[in-house]
Amino acid sequence: MGNFGSLTIPQIAEVGNLALALGLAVSVYVVFAAVFSQLKRRGEFFASARYGIYVITGLTTLAVAILEWALLTHQFRFEYVANHVSSDQPLLYTISALWGGQEGSLLFWVWLLALFGAVVLIQHLGQTNHLIPWVIAFIAFTDAFFFSLLVFISSPFALLAQTPVDGIGLNPLLQDPGMFIHPVTQYLGYVGFTVPFAFAMAALVTGDLGYAWIRTTRRWALFAWLFLSLGLLFGMRWAYVELGWGGYWGWDPVENAALIPWLTGAAYLHSVMIQEKRGMLKVWNLVLILLTFLLSILGTFITRSGVIQSVHAFGVSSMGPLFLAYIAAVLIVFAYLLYLRLDQLKEENRLDSMWSREATFLLNNLILLGAAVATLWGTIFPMISELLAGKQITVAAPFFNQVNGPILLALVLLMGVCTLIGWRRASPQHLVRNFVPPLVVAAITTLGSVVSGVRDVYGLIAFAASAFVLTTILLEFYRGARARMRMYQENVAVAPVQLVNKNRRRYGGYIVHIGVMLAAIGIVGSTFLQTSVQKNVAPGESVALGPYTMQFQKLFMTSESNAQVIAADLIVFENGNRIDTLRPQKAYYPAADQMTTEVAVRTTLREDLYVILAGWNDDGSATLKVIINPLVVWLWIGFIVFIIGALIAMLPDPREAQAVERVRAEKVLAGAIVQ
Amino acid sequence: MASLLQNSPAQSVSRSKSNSLKFLIGGMILLGVIGFVAVNSFQANTVYYYTLSELSAQRAQLSGQTVRVSAPLDKASIQNDQKNLVLQFNLVEGDQVLPVVYRGVAPDTMSNGESVVAEGKLDANGVFQADSILVKCPSKYEKSAVQ
Repeated sequence: MGNFGSLTIPQIAEVGNLALALGLAVSVYVVFAAVFSQLKRRGEFFASARYGIYVITGLTTLAVAILEWALLTHQFRFEYVANHVSSDQPLLYTISALWGGQEGSLLFWVWLLALFGAVVLIQHLGQTNHLIPWVIAFIAFTDAFFFSLLVFISSPFALLAQTPVDGIGLNPLLQDPGMFIHPVTQYLGYVGFTVPFAFAMAALVTGDLGYAWIRTTRRWALFAWLFLSLGLLFGMRWAYVELGWGGYWGWDPVENAALIPWLTGAAYLHSVMIQEKRGMLKVWNLVLILLTFLLSILGTFITRSGVIQSVHAFGVSSMGPLFLAYIAAVLIVFAYLLYLRLDQLKEENRLDSMWSREATFLLNNLILLGAAVATLWGTIFPMISELLAGKQITVAAPFFNQVNGPILLALVLLMGVCTLIGWRRASPQHLVRNFVPPLVVAAITTLGSVVSGVRDVYGLIAFAASAFVLTTILLEFYRGARARMRMYQENVAVAPVQLVNKNRRRYGGYIVHIGVMLAAIGIVGSTFLQTSVQKNVAPGESVALGPYTMQFQKLFMTSESNAQVIAADLIVFENGNRIDTLRPQKAYYPAADQMTTEVAVRTTLREDLYVILAGWNDDGSATLKVIINPLVVWLWIGFIVFIIGALIAMLPDPREAQAVERVRAEKVLAGAIVQ
Repeated sequence: MASLLQNSPAQSVSRSKSNSLKFLIGGMILLGVIGFVAVNSFQANTVYYYTLSELSAQRAQLSGQTVRVSAPLDKASIQNDQKNLVLQFNLVEGDQVLPVVYRGVAPDTMSNGESVVAEGKLDANGVFQADSILVKCPSKYEKSAVQ
C-alpha cells in the first residue's frame, strides 16, 4: 500500500490522472522513436524508446497502486471506490474491485500490456533482434489506445463532489473467489496475444517472414491461450456455483467473446506447426494471429463497453467509436503490409496427401474457424441488426448448440484421426492397423452406455467418439513408452515420464488433447443426461430424484459480514443410506439491495447433486430445485489435465533446437529423398 | 517403400496439385455444410423483440410464436407463488398492460427490477407465457437471467 504523505485526495487524484496523461504522451513518443530509429537507422532513438517502455510500466504501476490504495483505504471520494467498495466488504473483494469495474479493468489491461512490453525487452536484452523495435512500436501504439480511453473517456480517478458515508460495494454476484481470479486470467489471455501479434506485424514490416517470429513467440502464444483457457474455466465454474441455474454455459455474448479468440488461438497454435515443419501456410498463420488479437480486443470491447447488457458490462459508454477506430487502423496497416509482402510469402511445400497429418491440421483449422465464425455471427448479428435495421433481435442458445455441437464432434474425431496419421503420407495398411483398437473400444463404450441406460443418440455418438479418441491417445503413449522400455531398458514407471520429458511439445499437446476429451465427456453428460425436479416441502418431507432422497429439516437464518443468509438444512440419502447433509442458501446484500443464490453441490466422479433453494414460505416450507448433472466433474478434471499439458508444452524442449536443424536439413534435401 | 515409386518430380508436382484441389473441394464442402446448418438454425432461433403496442397490434399473427417482449415492470403486480413456483406480474407501457406468467424459480432481482425482458408465447387469452425472463435493475449491474 502506498503512503501518499500529506497529499489531499484531490491532489492524489491529480497525480493519478497525470500518470495516465504522461503514459499516453510517452506511448506516442515510443511509437515515433522506435519507428524513426529503424527508418533513419538511428540507434539512439531505439535506446530512448526502450526507456520509454520502462517509463510506461512505471507510470501504469503508479496509477494501479494509487487506485488500489484508494480501494483498500475506502477513499469514497473517488467515484470508482464509492461504486465498487463498501466498508463491510471482505478484503479479497476490495482488492479485486480493481478489475471489477470498467475504468479499473481498462487500467488493469494497460498495466498488463506495459508489463508484457517490459518483459519482452528484458527477454531480448543484449541481443540484436531487428524485430524488437517494431514490436515495441506496436505495443506502445496499443498502450496509447488504452491510455486515451482512460484519459479522455473514463478516468478511474474521477472524484465525487462530496464524500459519501459508504460505498455501494461490488456486485454481490461478483463476490466469489472464482470472480477474484477469472478476470485476471481472462485479461492475461486477452493481453497476452498482443505480443505474438506485435511480432507478426514486425515480421511483416521487416520482411523477415520465416519461422523466426513464430518461434520467438511460441511460448507467448501458448501462455496467452493457456490463460484464455483458465479464464473460461473460472468463468464457467463461477456460473455453475454462483448463478444457480444448474449450468455453466449459456451462450451469453460475453462468454462467446471469450470463446471465439480461444478457438482462433487454438487454430493458430496448430497451423504454426505446419509452417515450422513444412514451410507452408505462412499467410494463413499471419491472418490467424491477426484474428486472434483483434477478437481479443473485440472481447474486451464487448465485455467492457456496455454494448451488450450483461453482468460484465457497466452501462453504455462512448467507447465504441474509439474501439472501432483502433481495430480499423490495425486492419488497414496489416492488410497493406500483407499486400506488399505477398510475393515473399510463397509456400515452400505442397500438401503430399489427403491422408497426412498436415491435412488433418488444415481440416482442424477449417473446423475451428467455422465454429469461431458461426459463434461470432450469432453474437454480433443482434448488434448489426439494431444498428442498421433498427430492429432488436436476439439469437437464442439453440442456434449455438445446433451449429457448434456437430462442429465440435467433428473436431473431437479429428483429434483421434490426427494422432493415428503420420506426417506427409500414411499407408492404408498402417491406417487399418491403427484404427482397429480404438474402434473396438468405441464399440464397447457404446454398448456399455446403452446397458447403463443412456438412450440419447447424440449422447451415445459423443461417448463413442470420446472413447475412440482417448484410446488413440493412450495407445500413442503406450507405444512410445514400450519403445523406450525396449531401447533404453527403462522400467514401467520411468518410461512414460521420460517419453513426455524427451518430447515435451508433442506429448504436452497429447495431454492437452486428453484434457479436452475428458472435458467433452463432462459436457456431453451434463448436456444430454441432466435430470431435475422442483418441489415445495414442509419440514420432514422429502424430495426424490434418481437414487437420491433429500429430507428437508428446517429453515434458518444467519448473518455474514455484509449479508443475511437464509438456508435450508437437508439430509441426503442414496438408495436409503444416509450419505450427506446439504445446505442450499440465499443471501441478501442490504448495501446493494440484492439477493443471490448459493447452491449446494455434492460432487462425485459419477455425477453432481445440485440443490437450489428456490424460495420459502411463512409456514416454514421451502421450495427446492434439485438437478443431477451426470459426469460434470470431468469437465473440471479435463481442464486441469489440459492446463498441465499446456504447461508441459511450454517448458523448454530439448528437441526444439534439433527440430530446427532437421527442418533446415530437410529443406535442402526436399524432393530428392524420401523420409 | 511404396511412396518411393511415386516420387519422381513430375508426378509429385501434378499429384500435389490434384491434392490441393481435392483439399480445396473438401474444404469448400465442409464449410458449405457448416454454413447450411448455421443458416437454417439461425432462422429458426432468431427471436424478435416487440413493444407492448406492437404485440397487441399484431396479436393475431404473433400468437403461438416465440417472441421477446421488453417493457417496464409493475412491481405492485408481482405475485410469487413459491410453493408451486408460479410467478405472475404485469408489464405496463402507456395504457397497455400485459399479464405474464412464468413457471419456475423467480430471479433473485425480481423485487427491485425496473423492467423485464420476457421470452415466450402469447396464449389465446392474451396472457404471455414466458419460457425465460430477464430482469433489468436500476443498479450498475443490469442483468440477472433465468432459464
